[in-house]
Amino acid sequence: MKTIGSEPVYEVFARRVDGEPLRHVGSVAAPDDALARVYARSIYDEESWIEMYVVPRRAIIPVESVRTEAVDAHA
Amino acid sequence: MSTPLLDRPSALPRDALPPLVDLVVALADNKHALGLRYGEWCSSGPTIEAGVAATAMAQDELGHARVLYGLLEELPGAPHRSEHEWAAEDARTVGLLEQPLSSWPHLIVANVLLDQALAFVLDTALESRYLPLRQRTRKLIEEERFHAIHGQGWLLQLAAEGPDVRAGLEGIIRQAWADTLCWFGPDAGGALAPLVTLGVLREAGDSVRQRFLQMFGPLLRGAGLAAPVRAEGGRWVLAEPLPWSRWDEARRRVRHA
Repeated sequence: MKTIGSEPVYEVFARRVDGEPLRHVGSVAAPDDALARVYARSIYDEESWIEMYVVPRRAIIPVESVRTEAVDAHA
Repeated sequence: MSTPLLDRPSALPRDALPPLVDLVVALADNKHALGLRYGEWCSSGPTIEAGVAATAMAQDELGHARVLYGLLEELPGAPHRSEHEWAAEDARTVGLLEQPLSSWPHLIVANVLLDQALAFVLDTALESRYLPLRQRTRKLIEEERFHAIHGQGWLLQLAAEGPDVRAGLEGIIRQAWADTLCWFGPDAGGALAPLVTLGVLREAGDSVRQRFLQMFGPLLRGAGLAAPVRAEGGRWVLAEPLPWSRWDEARRRVRHA
């Protein structure tokens, strides 16, 4: 088990109605994908989303950033 | 020809009422107690996310109890129950819920064993001939899917912490084992069997217990945990008999030895 507090971060995206873009609503820290789903549903339930997704932050590929080292790492 | 629905309490045969009342009271009381016990961990989970998830499950369980108490109000002869006047000493709850869940592993075992056993029983009412029960069941089962993912995920996480944590989990599982596995009823369901015959429940007893073991056995194996269950001929079966002589059919709990 990873040390508590050092779990991977997942970004949470959701939309309220068909046709609306997915928008970023927040993030959760979780040891695996399954618990990330549970946590996202628990924490970001203030609206009646028709869709919600979690994405591991490490899977997001930087394109541009003022922190050039983040982009350079993927070059 | 399809069997007609029983759309109101007066459509139920008189002898179906006592077992239905006993089942709904025990389901609702256990869910109410589970909600309170989960709620005790709202601000003290191992992470903020875990605490919020416990809070959400507490809200779900208290909501399920409220829905089921509403069902009782319509049934003749049912005891009065209200989430606002909940009397723990009169509640038909299993032993594990009599005291606060004293550690996070206690909460996870309650989540993965008892919570899921109640969900398996509720699932047998998804297509119930008794319409008021059928109408209330689907949303509850949908919410329970996330409780299952939570419990299973955390059991695996905790078990991976090491032999001491696994030994602790095994002790708590053993503490909750008899109540959980007896909850489905003996043989063809015992007191629940007439409800199966009537179509109020799809099944009860051994058949539900078998389905539960097919879910729980592989989870235990994946977590490296020992419990009184073993794989035999491609199926998971009980490795020890259940204490049916101490099973209280009306209160749906195992009496203390």
